[in-house]
Amino acid sequence: MCESPWSPCCTAHFLMDSSNEEALDIIVTNVVATFRTRCHLNLRTIALEGTNVIYKPEVGKVLMKLRKPKITASIWSSGKIICTGATSEDEAKLGARRLARCLQKLGFKVRFSAFRVVNVLAVCSMPFAVHLIDFTKNNRPIASYEPELHPAATYRIKTLKATIQVFSTGSVTVTGPNVQNVATAVEQVYPLLFECQKPLCK
Amino acid sequence: MLSQTCQGCGGSNIVEDDLYCQPQRVCVDCGSVVSEGVLASEPVVGPAVAKKPCLNLIKGEMFSLTMCRILMVHREIEQLSQTYYNKAYQHESFLKVSLQKKEVLAGCCVLVSCRLLNWPITMATILCLINADPTLVGEVYQEMISALKIEAPIVLITDVIETHIQDSLHLPEEFAENSKDLTRCAVALVELAADSWIVTGRKPVPIIMAAVYLAWQSLRPTKQRLKTSLEKFCQIAKVNKYRPAVKRIAEIKEALCKLGKEIPWVREAVTPDNVVQHVEDILQHRYALLRRAMRTHQDLVEQTPNSSSVKHGPHERNDVELNWGKRVLFAPPCVIRAKRRRVEQPELQDVTGDEEISDSEIDSYIRTPQEARDFALTQKMFEKS
Repeated sequence: MCESPWSPCCTAHFLMDSSNEEALDIIVTNVVATFRTRCHLNLRTIALEGTNVIYKPEVGKVLMKLRKPKITASIWSSGKIICTGATSEDEAKLGARRLARCLQKLGFKVRFSAFRVVNVLAVCSMPFAVHLIDFTKNNRPIASYEPELHPAATYRIKTLKATIQVFSTGSVTVTGPNVQNVATAVEQVYPLLFECQKPLCK
Repeated sequence: MLSQTCQGCGGSNIVEDDLYCQPQRVCVDCGSVVSEGVLASEPVVGPAVAKKPCLNLIKGEMFSLTMCRILMVHREIEQLSQTYYNKAYQHESFLKVSLQKKEVLAGCCVLVSCRLLNWPITMATILCLINADPTLVGEVYQEMISALKIEAPIVLITDVIETHIQDSLHLPEEFAENSKDLTRCAVALVELAADSWIVTGRKPVPIIMAAVYLAWQSLRPTKQRLKTSLEKFCQIAKVNKYRPAVKRIAEIKEALCKLGKEIPWVREAVTPDNVVQHVEDILQHRYALLRRAMRTHQDLVEQTPNSSSVKHGPHERNDVELNWGKRVLFAPPCVIRAKRRRVEQPELQDVTGDEEISDSEIDSYIRTPQEARDFALTQKMFEKS
């Protein structure tokens, strides 16, 4: 599929171990980024003259949806904008710049600044099912599992600021501050999950 | 040692001259104070200084004790839960929270004490006792665990069944069953459910309810019992009905049917309607039937043409998963009914974030002045009507 590890087609691979040639697909499903326009924005003007916008006066923001890349932006009158829905960091930046251009054309003195990726959400599927009770027992207190509250076990890596949710089917969702951390988190947790696998066929 | 000479004039004529209650030694020649004693010999302990025990803390401890008495737990659990409540109450995370949250905290302390001392109990029981929002209880429980650094073991469903049957189920005489038989049958059904991916990721109480209901029906599969719905059963047994239990019953029946089909002496087709009569046999010969069912299923899969061998493209992953669900006898619902992942747009392959953005592209996001006027007019008309 993709040659380089962090290619813009938003999947990342890593070799599970040296003997196993199969790679694990980490699919980035959402990237949240913020930036500032360094000027006040009149939300009513944006709501009137922009298309694909939803004005929410009760909250004090405007939602603007871009078609390409598929991004939703929350625009506040202070000039702070949050973009969600991108599938890679570069796509998020492109979408943010496109939005800034759009606001510029609407007549605001926009200066694209302080762009920062805040959160990345990725999903990954292990080729085996996981015995969550064993996984939690082996990794206390970093891992926690309360079946009555949530069906997944939560594993938090403080150093990477990443949170991993492991489901018994082997599906894993990872949230972290950037794609690099997310991939590292999966690499770190993989051997722990491998230890606690349960056979898929019963 | 008391100084004999005055530091001011150097004279040695020093007399004891107390100022009210404070003892002082004064030089007669120059009048300077050479030394003075303490004003009071003991610290004064008045009502303003003494700390009264906190009323809400005491109330909370009594509340957790009451819950322990209702649950009829050991003395050790009562003491442990009070200790934890005391600790948690004084922790900064819980000191200034609302009284409702403190009540929930008492419930969580009881729960964690039961877990630590191996007394099988579910969160649902505590929810019933304190009658609070499940989200709030979950939140308080997680916070308490992290604040007090407790590592509580996970409760297995099979351990909880016995206590649930003994304490919560109150069947009248004509519907009663020996609790040992009921427990044995319900535990076996839950173990079968666990092997068939029915238990994992689901809340335990509806599964227990489904297992107990099916166990009760199967121990004496009379027409009357088979006709009794789950709702009626819950009314008879005086327990609350949980809606997901209906789905669990259907899933367990489906799993039982897969095994029931392999019973050699049953001639008729085993369907969810008549499977309850065969439950005892199925559970007795569970492992043998499971082996037979797996062999049959494998033969069936090998006979059908293999469609997953050669396939490329973004759908490969989904197809592999779908086949995984078909290849095995039991699979989780998320695999059997796998969601199709949305196809990645090929145009965005080479995005770097710093491309040129053409004006025409941006114009598609901006209304023309005429359009803006029309929009404003339409909005006004809409607001007026």
